[in-house]
Parts: sequence; structure tokens; C-alpha cells
Amino acid sequence: MTTHGAHTHVHSHVERITVMQGQVYVGTGKPEILTTVLGSCIACCLYDPIARVGGMNHFLLAQPNPGSGAVADQNYGIYLMELLINQMMTRGGVKSRMKAHIYGGANMHAGMARIGDANARFARDFLEAEKIPLVRSDTGGDSARRVDFDPVLGRTRCRLVEPVAAPAPKPIVRPQTGGGDVELF
Amino acid sequence: MSDMIHVLTVDDSASMRALLRAALSSRGYAVSQAEDGVAALEWLSTNGGEIDVIVTDINMPRMDGFGLIEKLRGQTRFRDCPILVLSTESSDEKKARARSAGATGWIVKPFDAEKLDAALRRVTH
Repeated sequence: MTTHGAHTHVHSHVERITVMQGQVYVGTGKPEILTTVLGSCIACCLYDPIARVGGMNHFLLAQPNPGSGAVADQNYGIYLMELLINQMMTRGGVKSRMKAHIYGGANMHAGMARIGDANARFARDFLEAEKIPLVRSDTGGDSARRVDFDPVLGRTRCRLVEPVAAPAPKPIVRPQTGGGDVELF
Repeated sequence: MSDMIHVLTVDDSASMRALLRAALSSRGYAVSQAEDGVAALEWLSTNGGEIDVIVTDINMPRMDGFGLIEKLRGQTRFRDCPILVLSTESSDEKKARARSAGATGWIVKPFDAEKLDAALRRVTH
């Protein structure tokens, strides 16, 4: 299983897969384009150039308390990053070979907390801690972005789009897999 | 005398290790950490007598969580040490494999610090 809830559409021979907030998708090796539209959310694309496998997640983390100095909801963010890395590994990816792109993190509404910045900071901090090189990023500002990612070739395209194109972020999307549940044998 | 519980956490993610250390230290645990199964075995070979409970990830390089549990259960001194799996995985197949290897329980990431605390206290009572 390489998807975590993404939607697929077939155009000619290339399948377009929309990665929505809270989702993770890793390429199957077939011709595919992973696509998403981002406002405050972050999409992280990981790519292993040797295994030629790539994947994308899309998240918005809870806003940190003002003045706390903390980055956004790390537990859930780490979970979504780990889910992406683990699914890459099941497709032959090796963590030490992975390279990252991050996109999004716009601060869409003037006067509101800069949650886009907090999300981008989380992503950068995570990649630095995990020693995954960040080779391209396009974050911040106040514009929505559309990102297309070819998970076989590792190529991305990021364009600014009208804010209306960005889906309204959901407050926090928690996984439906029973995160935190404890089962003693 | 101290009732402090000493936990060894095993996870290849530096971010997850930092999160676990913060969550457990703030709840009164002594925390030691290893980055994969091989590092955990090396650490335990010299410090194993101090450990009350082990919390391990499954997907790790060099030696995964299943391999670590099997190795530990093959050693007399760790035969009864509680070992909790903490993983993004939640399939019945993986849980059954962990149980068969000798795991004490399974916790699904993202973890809830209160639930993790309760589980650690329960298995170490």
C-alpha cells in the first residue's frame, strides 16, 4: 500500500494523483504526476535518485502558542514525515540518499498568525535533524501555489496561483489509523 | 531510593528521539536512546542492567524492530524486559509478527504522551 488517501485521475498515459491535506503518496514506478494546491499548508517532496522513487505529503500543523518559541505540532508533523520516509523505503528508497523539496507555507490572511511560516520552519528543522538535504524550497509570501511532482524523475514544478485556488485548510487533520492507541499483548 | 523508570527508546528519526526524550523526561523517566537495533544491542551489552523498559520503532536501517525484539528475547537477561513497539504501522499482520517475536505491546504513532506514560507504568508496575 503506497497511498494514504490520495485521489487519482488518468490523463493519456500519465496518472495525475492529487495529494490532499493529511495525505501521503509514494510513486508506484508508473508514469505519474503528484499534484497539490497549497495555501498555508506545506508539501514535502522526497526523492531517492538511485532508486528513482519519490513521494509527497501535504500537511498543516497546529499553530504554536504565541511566544512559546515552539514550532508547530511536532508530533503529528513528524508522523507525516516518517510515514512518507517509511513508504519510500518500502519502494526501495534509502533515507541517506533522499533529497527534499518543500513548498507552500504562505501566510494567506493578513493580521492572522503566521502559521505558514511556522509550518515551513517545522519542515526545515525536521529535514536538518534527519540530515536530508533540502535542495529546493519555495515557501512564504501570501500567494497560493500549485505543485506538480514527477516521482520517477524527481522533477517538480511550482507555480503561484490565485488564492481562491487553494483549498481552505482544515484546522488539524489527524490520521484515522488510531494514532496513540495502545494495545498490550 | 528512586522510583525513576529507565526507558531505552530506539528510533532512527532524530526528531522522534528528541520528541520522546522531551515527553518522557518531563514525566520523570530516565531516558536513554539508540538510533537502530544494532546501536540498541551495543548499548544494552554494557548498560542493559539499568533498563526497565524498551520502546522501539519498527522501520529502521541495519536492524529493524522485529530483529531487535527477537535478539533480545534470545538473551536470558532480557527475556522478561517489557518491550513496546512505537510505529506508524498499525496492520494486524505487523502486530502479530511483533507479538510472535515477543513484544509486550504496540503503540501507534503519532503517540499520545499521556497514553504512552500510562502504558509504560502499567508494563513496569
